[in-house]
Amino acid sequence: MSVQFKEHYVSQYSALQASLPGTGLPWLNALRKQALDRFSRSGFPSPREEEWRYTNVAPIERKLFSPFVGTASVDSASLARYRVDGAACLVFVDGQFNAALSTVPEPGEDIVICPMGEAMEKHPDLVEKHFGSVIQRESSGFLSFNTALFTDGALVFLPEGMKIDCPLQLLYVSASPDVLSTARNLVVAQPGSQVEIIESYVGLGDAGYLTAAVTELLVADDSYVTWSKLQSENGRAFHFGGLYADVGPNGRLDHSSFSFGGLLVRNEVHVDLAEASECSLDGLFLATGRQHVDNHTRIGHRKPHGVSREFYKGILDQRARGVFQGRVIVDQYAQKTDSEMNNRNLLLSSDAEIDIKPQLEIYADDVKCAHGVTVGQIEDESVFYLQSRGVDAVAARNMLTFAFANEMVGKIDRPALRSLVQDELLDALPATNLRKEWL
Amino acid sequence: MSTSTQEIEKLIGQDYKQGFVTDLDADTFPPGLNEDVIAAISAKKKEPEFLLEWRLKAYRHWLTLKSPEWAFVKFPPIDYQAMSYYSAPKDKGDGPKSIEEVDPKLLETYKKLGIPLAEQERLAGVAVDAIFDSVSVATTFKEKLAEAGVIFCPISEAVQTHPELVQQYLGSVVPVSDNYFAALNSAVFTDGSFVFIPKGVRCPMELSTYFRINAANTGQFERTLIIAEESSHVSYLEGCTAPMRDENQLHAAVVELVALDNAEIKYSTVQNWYPGDENGVGGIYNFVTKRGDCRGQNSKISWTQVETGSAITWKYPSCVLTGDNSVGEFYSVALTNNHQQADTGTKMIHIGKNTRSTIISKGISAGKAQNIYRGLVKVLKGAENARNYTQCDSLLIGDKCGAHTFPYMEIRQPTAQVEHEASTSKISEDQLFYCMQRGISAEDAVCMIVNGFCKEVFKELPMEFAVEAQALLGISLEGSVG
Repeated sequence: MSVQFKEHYVSQYSALQASLPGTGLPWLNALRKQALDRFSRSGFPSPREEEWRYTNVAPIERKLFSPFVGTASVDSASLARYRVDGAACLVFVDGQFNAALSTVPEPGEDIVICPMGEAMEKHPDLVEKHFGSVIQRESSGFLSFNTALFTDGALVFLPEGMKIDCPLQLLYVSASPDVLSTARNLVVAQPGSQVEIIESYVGLGDAGYLTAAVTELLVADDSYVTWSKLQSENGRAFHFGGLYADVGPNGRLDHSSFSFGGLLVRNEVHVDLAEASECSLDGLFLATGRQHVDNHTRIGHRKPHGVSREFYKGILDQRARGVFQGRVIVDQYAQKTDSEMNNRNLLLSSDAEIDIKPQLEIYADDVKCAHGVTVGQIEDESVFYLQSRGVDAVAARNMLTFAFANEMVGKIDRPALRSLVQDELLDALPATNLRKEWL
Repeated sequence: MSTSTQEIEKLIGQDYKQGFVTDLDADTFPPGLNEDVIAAISAKKKEPEFLLEWRLKAYRHWLTLKSPEWAFVKFPPIDYQAMSYYSAPKDKGDGPKSIEEVDPKLLETYKKLGIPLAEQERLAGVAVDAIFDSVSVATTFKEKLAEAGVIFCPISEAVQTHPELVQQYLGSVVPVSDNYFAALNSAVFTDGSFVFIPKGVRCPMELSTYFRINAANTGQFERTLIIAEESSHVSYLEGCTAPMRDENQLHAAVVELVALDNAEIKYSTVQNWYPGDENGVGGIYNFVTKRGDCRGQNSKISWTQVETGSAITWKYPSCVLTGDNSVGEFYSVALTNNHQQADTGTKMIHIGKNTRSTIISKGISAGKAQNIYRGLVKVLKGAENARNYTQCDSLLIGDKCGAHTFPYMEIRQPTAQVEHEASTSKISEDQLFYCMQRGISAEDAVCMIVNGFCKEVFKELPMEFAVEAQALLGISLEGSVG
């Protein structure tokens, strides 16, 4: 069985090789080949690996997914609700860039925004210079898998001191059954630049599929990147999404993750901080039915004076299973590090489960590091308070659940995005009869 | 800064005071481990048949296991054939029946260690079971305890005098197949303490065991079994030391606690095995499995540990909260200096309804040491209204050490309330300056601050131990602050 899926993907690679982006670039071919070798040896991660102990990806191995060949047709109207007003938008359907649905901004003054296929032809030097520079050590099978098989993605390059005014949305749509969507993004923010990126994953249709997306993000000195990820895959989808970021001196990354969809989901965020750089990682995950949502974050403080803030909230209903792992590593020379992590979880059903693993690994002495975790349910006092004001118990619980989640949504600065995430949240919340107009 | 640093460093560099060797005639098995050795141990101890079989079952299982590698500790592979599994001071006849019969040299050893067994008869204090290498050498206050119905004796004696109790409870909390070191211990354990508190009895005094490794090239494998019947209460202390040697010695103990309805067991440890020298040479590998089972309703098990010794400490005193309304507690101070490594913490398994657990862990890391808290809080589906509070704080002294926290939480019950907090800090210059400006020397100030950091745990220790623990902390810290 396990051999079968490896062979399948190896043969997929051989079949597609000629059409994959950057197929004319020897360095990339070599890289893909190595990654494929690694993958065919190791396969997908197993729960025996410490980093995967709470997430078993065997269901992904049991099905065989294939990249989409040809042109998928997606109705523009069906995507309307996922678009952020005022944002430039690159749309990828089943792992392929779709120009008709996209609104690519006019790239002025050396700014590069284009799909990976085009980037390999027009800016091969740029790609070669930065590709793989953040992910030097491919720690998980999914990374090798993505490197070997990625079919498209986005390249964003901001020269020194440049600022993109409108946010840039990367919208990944899966429409065909059993499709494999492997996007590989590369975002380079040169010193003093600024950009806001919104990454959305959407599943149309009811059939299952696999998304395995990897993003490398370079935030150079004094740059500022805001990154939001909205995951609304369909209920049968498998999703792996990894962001690997390197933040330079005095740089800053604000990341927020909203994970509502998918059957088996793994969200990974890895950030390495240089001197006096900062990051904040916020997250909200909500799972119901038989969903399994795993949030995996790692913050590496490599140099002194780094600041990191992390705040994740989870809501689990029915038979859902949630995982939160937050790992903070403070290197020996990263003195004066200031790190805080918080994770709060709400269990709504007696069949739901949450597994939490906050980790601190500290090798420097002059640091301030703290983490806090809570698991609980809605307080009876709060429900009673609302009941005493004439709200029935069920509605009261729904209101309080929504309020618990909405704290994270409220942190979004951009109104268009906030409203979009709120819609998704209301859709995902179990049995709410809350109306947006009331809020 | 620099003056205080130097003074603090001087302070931390004190010697291990229990590192002497007692020159005794010993009856030691040649190195090596096989079924014959196990049979020989069993024969030496005049054990009943069932125990030998149990040992062999454990040994056969152990052979199928691999040494675990998940802990955050580094050590070269242990050669289990190179050490001896039995060493006992030679005695004439059947062994000591009272303190008068014990080898005076041995008694002197214990006197050096600060437990004058002979004096204890007079000072109405703590009942002590002293274990020297593989055998128990003396148990004090037997008569007085027997009056209350309490059985407190070496486990090797208990298997002969109370085989039915041993058979019923031995391995019922830590089964032979539990883990690598527990299986090894089950196969070759040589002695340990056995405590049985009958129904409704409050043990009239603190019970205590003193462990000492003396012989070279031996491993110490003791097994402690404490059973508290319905509505009983016992407080038990253990202390450990070993001579200074360049080679590492293995200590793989198993402790099992059983608390029935309304019973309470308080288990305190001051672990001061030889930690190795400042270059990390020698020291004890302390790989211990400790677990308590709150089998009855409203039962309570409380672990308090002060870990200052051992080259490597690897232990997770745990509570299985089976009974409804049962309570588990874990209070720990783990101090590592020089090249010491400690991977320690606890497991709280909530099974019964309304079970509560508290975890307070204080890790202090100095020199080049690595100090790890690793803990699991698991709330099973049936554990309605389970409650856990965890706090683990780390104090780093110097920039070459590490302090790590690996908590795991697995919650399957919506009415459970689980809280976890962790923080890491160092002794600030301001704190030191404040103390010194009030006329307190740098050493005393550091000691004071560290003691304050550990106060929540020390207050759980019985009085005599609390004093010892504070002194021990001061000694162990010598030469570390920067």
